[in-house]
Amino acid sequence: MVNTAVKPKRRGDGFWANTWRNRAHVVLALPAFLVLLFIMYVPMTGLVMSFKNFNYADGIFGSPWAGFANFKFLLASKDTFFQFTRNTILYYLLFTVVGTFLNVTVAIAIDELLFKRCAKTMQTLMIIPVFISYAAVQFIVFAFIDSSAGLINKTLGTNTRFYSSPNLWPWILLIVKIWKDTGYGSVLYMSVLSGIDTSLYEAANIDGANKWQQIWHITLPSLIPMVTVMLLLSVGNLMHSDTGLFYQVTRNNGMLYPTTQVIDSYVLNAILSSSNFGFTAATSFFQSVVGLALMLFANYVVRRIEPENALF
Amino acid sequence: MYDTIKPSRRKRRIKTIAEKQRGFGQFLLLLCVLLFTVFCFAPVVLVFVSAFTDETYITQNGFSFLPKVWSLSGMNSVLRYGTQLIQSYLVTIFVTVAGTFLGLLVMSMFAYSISRRDFRLAPFLSIFLLIPMLFNGGQLSGYIVFTSWYGLKDSLLLLILPLCVTTMNVIILRTYIANSIPGELMEAAKIDGAGDYRTFFQITLPLMKPSLAAVGFMMATSYWNDWQNALLYITSDSKKPLQLLLINIQKSIEFLLNNSNVPASARAAMGGTIPQYSSTMATVVIVIAPIMVVYPFFQKYFIKGLTVGSVKG
Repeated sequence: MVNTAVKPKRRGDGFWANTWRNRAHVVLALPAFLVLLFIMYVPMTGLVMSFKNFNYADGIFGSPWAGFANFKFLLASKDTFFQFTRNTILYYLLFTVVGTFLNVTVAIAIDELLFKRCAKTMQTLMIIPVFISYAAVQFIVFAFIDSSAGLINKTLGTNTRFYSSPNLWPWILLIVKIWKDTGYGSVLYMSVLSGIDTSLYEAANIDGANKWQQIWHITLPSLIPMVTVMLLLSVGNLMHSDTGLFYQVTRNNGMLYPTTQVIDSYVLNAILSSSNFGFTAATSFFQSVVGLALMLFANYVVRRIEPENALF
Repeated sequence: MYDTIKPSRRKRRIKTIAEKQRGFGQFLLLLCVLLFTVFCFAPVVLVFVSAFTDETYITQNGFSFLPKVWSLSGMNSVLRYGTQLIQSYLVTIFVTVAGTFLGLLVMSMFAYSISRRDFRLAPFLSIFLLIPMLFNGGQLSGYIVFTSWYGLKDSLLLLILPLCVTTMNVIILRTYIANSIPGELMEAAKIDGAGDYRTFFQITLPLMKPSLAAVGFMMATSYWNDWQNALLYITSDSKKPLQLLLINIQKSIEFLLNNSNVPASARAAMGGTIPQYSSTMATVVIVIAPIMVVYPFFQKYFIKGLTVGSVKG
């Protein structure tokens, strides 16, 4: 009301005049702009490779066109393409459902705890695994599941050969994922919890609501916007996985591929062995396009239901 | 005397309030959270314990939280990597420090630029920033473009630049500028005759410290832990970061275990046995310890930063 005319709009302040007047801001934005351009944007043109018969000598644009041959090849190879796409999607669903549930649960549990100093220490310890790289994590996992010296086999007196039993790996990977990310994931929700108006709880208390009713009717509803945003952000990454988890923790063991190979680890392997570039490029194209479509779709759905929670 | 009375009194008051509500349920909850904490932290303890456990003890009895034979030989055998270990440490430290500072500078400049309301290019720059979050070229085209177009194979730039500017971090910084730094302050600076650069470097940047600490810490850990770019692009020993060294150690152990006809000289160099358990754990300790030492000091900022960034921008 007071300062309605802080910035009187100058007459004749066209786009170029405005840009010139703000040339300092153009200069300040330039370095990050260039990094994004060269690191993120230029590789996008590389997706053209999926329609090419790529070879190094001719480069990305010089290689002969191949039409949809790479994609036909993709669809024909049932046991690789379908396998790693299925794994990618199923692991995404598993990790998202279990992860979100645990993040929220742990956040509420720590928030409800009256032993505040204890809670703080425990939270600190819980977050630590997220700072350990997968290259190191795989040694830790090895210490637990190695067939000869592993802690699990030694404690139970069994002789399970984990590294050659693909059907056990969904569980192992789920446990590793929970171990690594839950502490960190709950921090975000905790910050939302600390922002809830305490008078709501006081009112509920006076009305005779017990702890569970308070959690169900006050705490959970106030977490929903954050859960939506996090889910929305993760949907765009549905086709991308935590590569380290699938490449490092499994020790890139071929015997485990049926249950552990995802798109990203397949592509990484293909690059390192420099084989099958056409096939891999088609996979990347599929990955990027599906990722984009999912992100737009998810955002559209959220905007229809709850416009405030949509990303854009 | 005065000093000793005050805190104890305060402590007693807190206790009585809390005790009223501490029932059986609270202790049950404490137990559950404690169990989960043990689940999270025990594996880390195991790493540190096995790094100091006797190698033959592990071979015979397996990994253990309470080994009967302790030894420093694991740590000693890490020194076998000698100059390579030091070199890798230096590479990792250089990449982490250079990348974090460069990234923070470049991203906060960008964030400042797009947070300005009467700058007509700002909306375009925001969209330019957001698109990479929705769509990207994937690993393969990145690899081909970086190596054959830019000719950057085996270059430390490829460890620094790809992690340098991320959309999420710029959003965190921009949200912080918009919400926590009063615009009047920058207006005032301008009225006092400070140019745009001066306003940014002397007013805005110093005030951004909490968000810079948060983003900087997250960036530093991702630089420290980055193994994928190293695995893809780095070939020479002198540029090998710690994480790649870890991967190489694992590969070579695997190779030695699978090949019985290893040259005698190689075996002799390893003291007759393949350094499988305690010494690899000792290496892991050396790789992960610095973050654990630094992390508690940054926890406050890093939690605050996450909170700030979560506000939709």
